[in-house]
Amino acid sequence: MSEMTNGCMVLPGDRVGSVEEYVPGQETYVRSGFIYASTTGTVEVDPETRSARVVPISNAPPRLEQGDIVVGEVVDMKESLVILSLAFKKGYEYRPLPDEEATIHISNVKNSYVKDLRQMFSLRDIIKARIVDDRQMRLTTGEDDLGVIKAYCSRCMTGLQRKESRLECPSCKHSETRKLSASYGLGVV
Amino acid sequence: MQGNNGNITFIRDGVRLDGRRVDELRPIKIEVGVLSRADGSCYMEMGDNKVVAAVYGPREVHPRHLQEVSRAIVRYRYNMASFSVEERRRPGPDRRSYELSKVSREALEPVILTSYFPRSVIDIFVEVLQADAGTRTAGINAASVALADAGIPMKGLITSCAAGKVDGQVVLDPMKEEDNFGQADLPIAITPWGDITLIQMDGDLSRDEFRQAVELARIGCGKIYEIQRKALLDRYCQMESAAQEA
Repeated sequence: MSEMTNGCMVLPGDRVGSVEEYVPGQETYVRSGFIYASTTGTVEVDPETRSARVVPISNAPPRLEQGDIVVGEVVDMKESLVILSLAFKKGYEYRPLPDEEATIHISNVKNSYVKDLRQMFSLRDIIKARIVDDRQMRLTTGEDDLGVIKAYCSRCMTGLQRKESRLECPSCKHSETRKLSASYGLGVV
Repeated sequence: MQGNNGNITFIRDGVRLDGRRVDELRPIKIEVGVLSRADGSCYMEMGDNKVVAAVYGPREVHPRHLQEVSRAIVRYRYNMASFSVEERRRPGPDRRSYELSKVSREALEPVILTSYFPRSVIDIFVEVLQADAGTRTAGINAASVALADAGIPMKGLITSCAAGKVDGQVVLDPMKEEDNFGQADLPIAITPWGDITLIQMDGDLSRDEFRQAVELARIGCGKIYEIQRKALLDRYCQMESAAQEA
C-alpha cells in the first residue's frame, strides 16, 4: 500500500504513514509500527513537527479546543467556582456533548473585580462561555457576548426578562443580577 | 434450517437457483446518510435484504448506572419489521433478535475506539425492512458504514458475509431457499486486516468444509469492503464538490 500524502482522502483503517516517518496526530492510531486513520477525512502533515493527522470531513463528534465557544448549565456553585454541565459547542448544536463538565473561576467571570460570585451566576442558569484551558476544561465569560443567556427566578423559577442591566421576573417582579451575555434571551448562540 | 426434503436441486451446472455461481455475492447497494436526524446512517440492500442502520452518539447514557467511567458503551438494536418476512412477524424483541443484537454489537465493538468517550454511549439501531437470509450480515455492514458516517473514531470498517452449504457444496452468501433448506450457514464478520469478530454456525460442516467456507466468506467480505469504501468515498466526494460550488 502506498503512503498517503497531504490532502489525500482516507477512510477509517487506511494507512497514513509509519511511526518512523511521522508523529501520529489527531484522528489517527498506531498499529504495529504504522499510523492509520480513525475517521473519514483528509490527511494533513505538519512539515515542522512531522505530525500526520486526519481532518474529519464526516459529521464527526466535536472536539473541544481552546478558544471554542460552548453552552452549558450551572450545576453547582462553590465559593470561587461555578461548575457547568456542557450541552454543546457553538456550530455543533445538533451534536450534544456527552457528560462533559467545565468550571469558571471567579477571576475569569468578568474583566473587572468580582466580589461575590452569587451576584453573577445562579444554579440552573444557561451560560455561554469560551474555553481557556481544554485540558482542565476551564472557561471564561470575560467578553460582552459571553455570560448568562437564560436565567430563572430564584423564587418562582419563571424565566427572567432583561431590564437594562438587570433581570426581572415577569410574575413576581423579583429583581436579580447576573453576568449577562449580550445575547440574553434571544435564543441564538 | 429445515433440512432438505430431497425435492430441490440447488445447483445445476454450477449455477444456483437465482443464477449465481457458487462464489458469487448477491447484488449490493449502499446509500450513506439517508436519515437527517441520526448522526450517521446507511441504507443497504444485499440481494432482497433491505436494512437501515442509524447511529447516535457519543451521547449521555440513560439509564445512568450503565455508564462506564473509562470508555463509551456500545448498544446495538437489531429489529425486524413485522412486514419483513412472508408471514407477519410479531413486533418487538424476541429471543432471536436479542441474540443477534448481542453478537452484532460484539462484532463491531473491537474496532470502535470507545476509550475516547468515557461515560457516554454509542447507539446503533438496525431495522430490517425486508428479510431474505443474511440479515445479520447486512445489518453489521450497514451499521459499520453508518458508524463511519457518524464520524465515530474506529480502527477500520467491519465487513460481514455468510457462506453456506447446499447440495454438499460450499456456497457464498446463501439466499432464503438455500438458508432454509440447505445443510449449513456460516456468517462471519472480519476487520480489514482479517481478524474475525463474529463467527456463527448453523447446521454442520466437516473440518475441510468449514475451512473452505471461512475462506469463501473472507473473499466475499473483501468484495463487500470495496463496495462499502466506494459508497463512503462517493458520499464525501459529493459533499466536497457541493461545498466547493456553494
